[in-house]
Amino acid sequence: MTEQSVNIPVKQPSKSWARQVVSSLLNRTSAKIGLAWIGLLVLIATFSPFLANSHPLYMVVDGQASSPLLNHMEPLDWIWLSGFFITLIISALPLLPWKKIVLWLISVALVSFIAYSTVSPPILVVYEQYRELENAGKVEQIIRAPIPYSAKDYLRDFADTGVESPLSAADRMHLMGTDENGADVASRMIHASRIALGIGFIATGIALIIGTIVGGLMGYFSGIVDIIGMRLVEIFEAIPTLFLLLSFVAFFGRSIYMMMVIIGITAWSGYARYVRAEFLKLRQQDFVQAAIASGLPLRSILFRHMLPNGLAPLLVATSFGVASAILAEATLSFLGLGLVDDPSWGQLLNQAVQSSTFNWWLAVFPGGAIFMTVFAYNLLGESLRDAVDPHTNRGMQS
Amino acid sequence: MLNYLLRRTLLMIPTLLGITIVVFTVMAAAPGGISAQSLVDGMELEPQSRQALEEYYNKLYGLDQPAPVQYLRWLNNISPIGFERQADGTLGNFAWWKGTDLGTSFRYGRPVTDMIAERLPITLLLNLISIPLIYALAIGIGVQAARQRGGRFDVTSNIFLLGLWSVPSMLAGVLFIGFFASEQYWRWFPTGGLMRRETADQTFLPLLGGFGDVMITAICVAVLTVVFISAAVSFSLKSRQWTGLIIGSCLGYAMAFNLEGQIFGLLHLLLIPSMAWLVRVLAGLNNVALRLVVTGAFAVGFGLAVAGLFGVEMLQTGYLLDRIWHLVLPVIALSYGGLAFLAKLTRSSLLENLAADYARTARAKGVDEETVLWRHVFRNSLLPLITVSATLLPSLLAGSVIVESIFSIDGMGKLAVEAVQTRDRELVLSVTLISGLLTLVGYLLADIAYAIVDPRVSYD
Repeated sequence: MTEQSVNIPVKQPSKSWARQVVSSLLNRTSAKIGLAWIGLLVLIATFSPFLANSHPLYMVVDGQASSPLLNHMEPLDWIWLSGFFITLIISALPLLPWKKIVLWLISVALVSFIAYSTVSPPILVVYEQYRELENAGKVEQIIRAPIPYSAKDYLRDFADTGVESPLSAADRMHLMGTDENGADVASRMIHASRIALGIGFIATGIALIIGTIVGGLMGYFSGIVDIIGMRLVEIFEAIPTLFLLLSFVAFFGRSIYMMMVIIGITAWSGYARYVRAEFLKLRQQDFVQAAIASGLPLRSILFRHMLPNGLAPLLVATSFGVASAILAEATLSFLGLGLVDDPSWGQLLNQAVQSSTFNWWLAVFPGGAIFMTVFAYNLLGESLRDAVDPHTNRGMQS
Repeated sequence: MLNYLLRRTLLMIPTLLGITIVVFTVMAAAPGGISAQSLVDGMELEPQSRQALEEYYNKLYGLDQPAPVQYLRWLNNISPIGFERQADGTLGNFAWWKGTDLGTSFRYGRPVTDMIAERLPITLLLNLISIPLIYALAIGIGVQAARQRGGRFDVTSNIFLLGLWSVPSMLAGVLFIGFFASEQYWRWFPTGGLMRRETADQTFLPLLGGFGDVMITAICVAVLTVVFISAAVSFSLKSRQWTGLIIGSCLGYAMAFNLEGQIFGLLHLLLIPSMAWLVRVLAGLNNVALRLVVTGAFAVGFGLAVAGLFGVEMLQTGYLLDRIWHLVLPVIALSYGGLAFLAKLTRSSLLENLAADYARTARAKGVDEETVLWRHVFRNSLLPLITVSATLLPSLLAGSVIVESIFSIDGMGKLAVEAVQTRDRELVLSVTLISGLLTLVGYLLADIAYAIVDPRVSYD
């Protein structure tokens, strides 16, 4: 014992627990891979109008310069763009975390309000006009997006378009082929990344909020609240989630927001279990008793004192939860219950096997994208679990 | 124990009620909802007959009543104790045992009980084949990974299993169908269904040309199995890997030959090295049990192929082979996800127990590592596996929704999708009820198994 105590190195500057977790997370290769893929996906989703669009970025016709792409940007495109930069700026500001979150929410809400009240793209969209102008030789100068096809551009000006394998068309270039409507698969996949990311974050957010509140109340009050709550959790766990999702979607129509809410509503039971278990442990501890004794309101005890201490297992579950939310959306779209016209990876995958022909590009690219995204979140969740687990950490240091 | 069982069974009833209430609420709250009009819509009828049909539906299902009343009616129909239902839709006398009635499907006009009785065995067959397969392989892989903690097998299998867990089952299903069943690539397996139509009136076992053919087949299979298995057991790692390399490249060539013929093309260059590498890895497996399973399956298939080369012809494939042949792809697509999950769980559970005090004590008193692993640690590590088996069944049921729709197998999963798509209320409710019941029974069985395996747990 004495020898050991002599060998203790110079005291390191103490790091907060959150910092320790983050640095230990960033040391792991698998976490790096996961974060890199998600980062790439965020970039693609943010800049998707500039990556794949039928509208040229810059065009001069009859001496008149215009930017059809910017004119056709939807409010949502602007929100994504400004949201991206707002996030970058705010994360660089020296503020407390909760102030950052509040600031972020306020600014995104403000931007959405401005975008929806000022931006009004033309309702009638004619994708072919630029190609026709170009063929007629009226265009003097044109700058196009890297993939010059929009997600919903079904190439009506080319005679009977349909499923084409990659690089097979003579007069056009489709890196990943086209789908059964004749739309460019690469473009659809780029635009679908937004849906995957959005579903993942918002659905998990909803599930997290419901689960935390229900689980927190169950763990804090225990007793009769706990018994009733656990029955509720059991009910939601015993219904096959996919089946509940199917009935929700079939009976409530198909909109992306509806789907986010529905996936959130069906996925909360796991989080409730985690939070309950954590709160049952915490409520016996002295700091909680002290908070109760000093007469703090319930809201403060639950969310300011107990929740931050029970966050670790929740964080891990969230990462896996995002993966399963993305998977749920892909499954619904695959079963033909997803979005109707909007691009989605699962819906592209659904077209891969139809009437005994197998279009490999419709299986490999969208399926690969789903796989990589789910894999990335699972990798992240697994490294997070190792990072917050004191046992494995000790093992690594010694 | 009996007391506990009774209590658990009774507690299942409120949960089941809750499940059906949730699903019923979803359907009742849906915009448009379900009414006699929505059922009749889309049919081209005279106004009079439309009116008559609406009235008929209203009487049959009580669709013109408020939603809570409809739910209570439905509940009365399915519960064995309740009011008898008269032919004209009104309620009769109270009875203590009137039998359950799941109703009639809107869409198919058939009793739901019949439809479920047709479909449920198929889904159960898929799941009951998958579960033992998942457990056997997962335990094999998990034990091997835990033994070589931090070793090459452990690290690669860890990443590989996480990847496998992340593969969406629809992607796996689509790729399986696309590459191994469709006309464009290898047509090794059927594209869908559970049996060919001809098989219905064939023998159970495969029918061969004569006694000689049977003998040749048996000899081929037996000789090859013995040769392969003895090689798998006795060869050193190096020679196993070389043999694997050679067999793999032959297999790769055969696959490419099958598609593109003799001329060397891109496909040959791609397939031969990848197959060679794959078989080499399989042959290099350090776990004897895993290796035996792989080589055994391989040898039987190879033996049948060689027998075919000798001129043995199957007159009829027979029921058994046909069924197996149809089940291979769906079962793989259904089970790999659970396999990956369970193998990871086995590994972590074993590692936890290998470091436990009692394992150290056993080693300290001189018990050899094998005995420590199998007699002490393994038995204790089984507990989390049993707990998880409760959640395995629901996830398999959800998986069978996808797998059955991809492989067009007429099971419960496909029925569920059809029911939901056609807004068939009776069918939706009954399928939910049955799958909820199966899930709860799964939980109950897992708890009982837990109590049997772990003497510390008692429920009295």
